[in-house]
Amino acid sequence: MNHTLRMTIHKVEGAIIRLLGLIERRGFSVTEMNALADEAAQRVEITMHVSSAGRSIETLAKQIEKLYDVHSVACLTAAEPRPVLKESVAC
Amino acid sequence: MSSKGAELVVRALEQQGVEHIFGYPGGAIMPVYDALLNSPIKHILARHEQGAALAADAYARVTGRPAVCMATSGPGATNLVTGIANAFMDSVPLVVITGQVPTVVMGTDAFQEVDVFGITMPIVKHSFIIRRAEDIPRTIAQAFQIAAEGRPGPVLVDLPKDISNAVPGATPIFEMRRSQHDSPDPAQLEIARELIRNAKRPVLYGGGGIPMAGAVDAFRAYARASNIPVVLTLKGLGSVPTRDENFLGMLGMHGNRAANQAIQESDLLICIGARFDDRATGRLDGFAPKAKVIHMDADPSEINKLRHADAGLLGDLLESLAAMPTELSIEPWRRWCAERKAEHAWRYDAPGDYIYVPDMLRRLTDAAPDVTIACDVGQHQMWVAQHCHFDRPEQHLTSAGLGTMGYGVPAGIGACLARPGARVVTVSGDGSIMMNIQELATIKRYGLDLKILLVDNSSLGMVRQWQQLFHQERYSEVDLSDNPDFVEVAKSFGVPGFRITRRDEVDGAIRRLVETEGPLLAHVCIDPKSNVWPLVPPGQSNDVMMEELSA
Repeated sequence: MNHTLRMTIHKVEGAIIRLLGLIERRGFSVTEMNALADEAAQRVEITMHVSSAGRSIETLAKQIEKLYDVHSVACLTAAEPRPVLKESVAC
Repeated sequence: MSSKGAELVVRALEQQGVEHIFGYPGGAIMPVYDALLNSPIKHILARHEQGAALAADAYARVTGRPAVCMATSGPGATNLVTGIANAFMDSVPLVVITGQVPTVVMGTDAFQEVDVFGITMPIVKHSFIIRRAEDIPRTIAQAFQIAAEGRPGPVLVDLPKDISNAVPGATPIFEMRRSQHDSPDPAQLEIARELIRNAKRPVLYGGGGIPMAGAVDAFRAYARASNIPVVLTLKGLGSVPTRDENFLGMLGMHGNRAANQAIQESDLLICIGARFDDRATGRLDGFAPKAKVIHMDADPSEINKLRHADAGLLGDLLESLAAMPTELSIEPWRRWCAERKAEHAWRYDAPGDYIYVPDMLRRLTDAAPDVTIACDVGQHQMWVAQHCHFDRPEQHLTSAGLGTMGYGVPAGIGACLARPGARVVTVSGDGSIMMNIQELATIKRYGLDLKILLVDNSSLGMVRQWQQLFHQERYSEVDLSDNPDFVEVAKSFGVPGFRITRRDEVDGAIRRLVETEGPLLAHVCIDPKSNVWPLVPPGQSNDVMMEELSA
């Protein structure tokens, strides 16, 4: 499923890479991204298109929200039925 | 008079009430070690940075407050990584301070330069690189707050050497924002209450979040008042005493059969500070298939992550638990659970002459009910979880999420320092102990009263068990029959030791462990073919539990 996220993050060292690292590790790929730094406010506005085969965008949004440097996150696309995780036992 | 950055670091740590730091010095962190000489904080020198990080992890688990570990840049920092990941996976509050090469050479591949900020990003709750000395007090204070608040975790502070040597122009002042207090949503609380009132077969499924939230007493009070049967995760053990009549056992892959059966039959799972980990649930779509779910947690992203929650109660566990109804009509269910518990009670009448480890561990906690057990990872870890008795969760230190072999000895060291005078026993295996054997020197150096019960099956037992069961007995790299003489190894570190090989020597060995003053290693040789039972095969649902293969 494809989703659009709009996020505001604090403009501090490591904030963007931390955000991108989390999104990819949690099973999403970034298909489009726009980042605009507001130097005066020390913030970065990020709009991102992400897609995932079977992970929940709601869970991802909550995981992003937990990042200390994230000010806000909003999912601009409609909610969807909760995906069912197929593989539950890693090894 | 203005202070150097390094002195600000130490002063900030003192302000946080830090009494011990676990670490190892080196070039880039040297200014901080210099400043430590003028501080009442006691530094504990580990013999490998991983030992320092793991000891700090256990220290934090026992004290319930953030612990501090410290190392230099480069290899010092990378050696901390396993310890940081261990704390991350088990939500343990750590403040990790690493030296870094001076800012002017960062990014030039300078001597002992690594990007530890980048390396550790996925395994920290948060991290900082300090770029100005005046930011030091605020950053250290933030690190402690972030590590401890909500769902705890490790916070890394990378400190370039020129910053720790710099004298800031202005006197730094800082103000901490207040810790936010989350309360559960009243509408969700009402749904949860309704679910409990209507449940015929409820189960309390408790995890490590209970002790971490300081909610052990509240959890016990609710369990007692509601009389709902209790199952616990590996990290939740001790949240009710293991001898409590409502306690069915640990659930999951090596759980008790009664605990797993109760979960499978339940119509309402009340998950409290647990996270539906795969070792607990087995195959997820077969886990508690008839149950609705109430999920109480401090972390919003855990609710609905792996299992849909019919009611999600965020925030303070004490508030959520206090709001749950207690007058329930579940007698038939309680009887059914009690019957399963009696039916599947552990048996200790194992045939043969070999030392039966489950029985030995049970006897150890019978002889010393106040003991804190710091566990390593492998078969012995599961035997400890199954057979030892715990009155409190802090008595059981185990590397649950990461499964870090080598945790046991450093964890025992951390526990000894966290509670001076406490009785602490590290239970280790012949594989695990070799991963941090150098920390025997730390035991000796600080005169710690740490006992070590080393269970030796001359192999990597858990891997061997899986190769036997799931790889057609094709044994690959699990034979450790060329182990060193562990008693002699311990002696060479100044730790006395003795060896037992027969069942009739067990009681004497336990007596020595309980009665001896000072460190002692008991080397226990067991049947190399011992396995952990029961076992849910990986990828199966929890009703598929394998029992001991016929001999």
